[in-house]
Amino acid sequence: MSCTSNTKADRMIYDLELISVGKTYSDGTVAVSDFDLKVEKGEFVAFLGPSGCGKSTTLRMIAGFEDITNGEVMMMGQNVTHIPPEKRPTSMIFQNYALFPHMTVRENVAFGLDVKGTPKAERNRKVDRILDMFDLEQFADRKADKLSGGQRQRIALARGLVVEPEILLLDEPLGALDANLRRIIQNELKLLQRELGITFIFVTHAQSEALGLSDRVVVMSNGVVEQISAPRELYRRPQTPFVADFIGSNTVFEGTAKGAAGTGFGMIETPYGMMKGVGQGDETLAVVPAEAFRIAPLHTPDEIRIDGVLAERHLVGAVGHLKVRLPGERDVAVEVSADRPEVRALTLGAPVTLGIDPASITLIHA
Amino acid sequence: MESRILRPTLALYTVLFLLFLYGPMIVLTILSFQSADGGPQFPIREWSVYWYEHLLGFAETSRVSQLPVGDSLLRSIVLAFMTTVVSTVLGVMSAEAFRTRFKGSGPAFYLIILGMMVPGVLVGLGMALLSNTLGIARAWWGTSFVLHVVYTYPFAFLVMLAIFNRFDRTVEEASLSLGVSPAQTFRRVTFPIIFPGVLSAMLFSFTLSYDEFARTLFTAGRDLTLPLAIYGTFSVEIYPNIFAFGVLTTLFSFTLLVIYGLLMKRFTSKASRYSGQEDA
Repeated sequence: MSCTSNTKADRMIYDLELISVGKTYSDGTVAVSDFDLKVEKGEFVAFLGPSGCGKSTTLRMIAGFEDITNGEVMMMGQNVTHIPPEKRPTSMIFQNYALFPHMTVRENVAFGLDVKGTPKAERNRKVDRILDMFDLEQFADRKADKLSGGQRQRIALARGLVVEPEILLLDEPLGALDANLRRIIQNELKLLQRELGITFIFVTHAQSEALGLSDRVVVMSNGVVEQISAPRELYRRPQTPFVADFIGSNTVFEGTAKGAAGTGFGMIETPYGMMKGVGQGDETLAVVPAEAFRIAPLHTPDEIRIDGVLAERHLVGAVGHLKVRLPGERDVAVEVSADRPEVRALTLGAPVTLGIDPASITLIHA
Repeated sequence: MESRILRPTLALYTVLFLLFLYGPMIVLTILSFQSADGGPQFPIREWSVYWYEHLLGFAETSRVSQLPVGDSLLRSIVLAFMTTVVSTVLGVMSAEAFRTRFKGSGPAFYLIILGMMVPGVLVGLGMALLSNTLGIARAWWGTSFVLHVVYTYPFAFLVMLAIFNRFDRTVEEASLSLGVSPAQTFRRVTFPIIFPGVLSAMLFSFTLSYDEFARTLFTAGRDLTLPLAIYGTFSVEIYPNIFAFGVLTTLFSFTLLVIYGLLMKRFTSKASRYSGQEDA
């Protein structure tokens, strides 16, 4: 939702709200700092970042497994900062499944309801329904640790969902699965989340998972939130050098700020000429996504044109991955549609003129 | 190849080593079948089970008085049982505490381990002096019991520490995140998983306490435990009935080991009962 500041929005109750949450270890190491996030009911939010960036620590703080040293965590308007994990309306799914090895599949799934003392008839009904939903009935009486990875992760999901949490926390749930299975479970997750309308917080280091599954992505690095955006926005408008480098394949040109150039646009002077892009005009970096380069310039008045030489060409299916060498030994990644005649006409070592539309350039601060 | 010489040499060495290790037990077993008029040494005059009958009180009266082991055996078993229960409970609880670093956990660790490191004679003597000073009567179920726990608890603790070291903490977190309280999580999830370790800790505690000598010597008071009673008979004169008793008590230890093995097997096979059907 857009961050309007009228009183009605301020009083809105979010499923999950992190208010400048941080964690500092007793030896002074900062794991996470100033994490702000508001998640609406039914939203699918992914935490994305390289390992050690603090995404899992944040998830574990939400679950209650890690102490929160700064800030507050609210769930449905309740402050849960100092509430133990078993009293939070969350359920967590682990990368290693964390199934109970001494129980059968059914016992695993029924465990939460069983301990809570749910009446037997109701418990059986719920367990049967969820086993059916995850296609697990035929394994119900087997020991959980004797099944395949995909089946085990389904059991873990069934076990976590049967207790009807408000928020499902997933810590790299697909990390231990092979690529094929990962895609299948990924689809299942997306469908499941839509069907149940439960809020999902999903931690991953894989871009494709975060961008493909979520409504919003939180990109983290070194314990700090770099950007919170919808996946498409993250691709098109990276806001920090880290995001520009981490997401997709962008080229970043360094330059000096040359002020505003019309509403919403700014100018930067780079070694490859003046570049106009989306920004305020006080930025010093111009970010160009690989697919924003045209190899057949349109010669519109606004267009930025750079001359180079074709250094590499890989055609992967319908996509052509090119590497164009600019003056000063600078290589830039270019993605084009492979079946265009001008792409097929290219020869290695031949001069190329790259064209860029200013609207696809994002200016950011260094 | 090197192994053509090395392997038979190592094999021979191993056989000799095992013979040396079990030599005393073999000699003891052979001598326990000595005849009624034979002594506690070779040669065997005639094979018989006379000393077993003598030990159990079935033999007709003889010049050798019966071994005074009945009561002391009972005492030792009761003491070992008490020690097992207390040491294992303490061991599990403290190992659980040591899963997270707490203030003073380093010194606390070494203080616990000290119980098995310090010489038994010294601790026994110290305990005897202390109980004298405080005016506490020495007894196998009191002063000795405390020292047995001090001695066996570190073993139980170390066993449980090793078990928890390999324990996957996320299963507990999974349970907590399902809304299950920490107490219920321990009872329903943690304990069943660490149970084989608990069995091992119990076995350690029991066998260590059962034949403990040095610490018991000074603290048992008037009523003796089994090792003390046996030692007491040495000072008079040795007859083969002591060997017969040695064989029986070894058999008792083996029985404990077999029960332990069966329990472990039952527990581990329960977990893998379905392994054969994976591809079915």
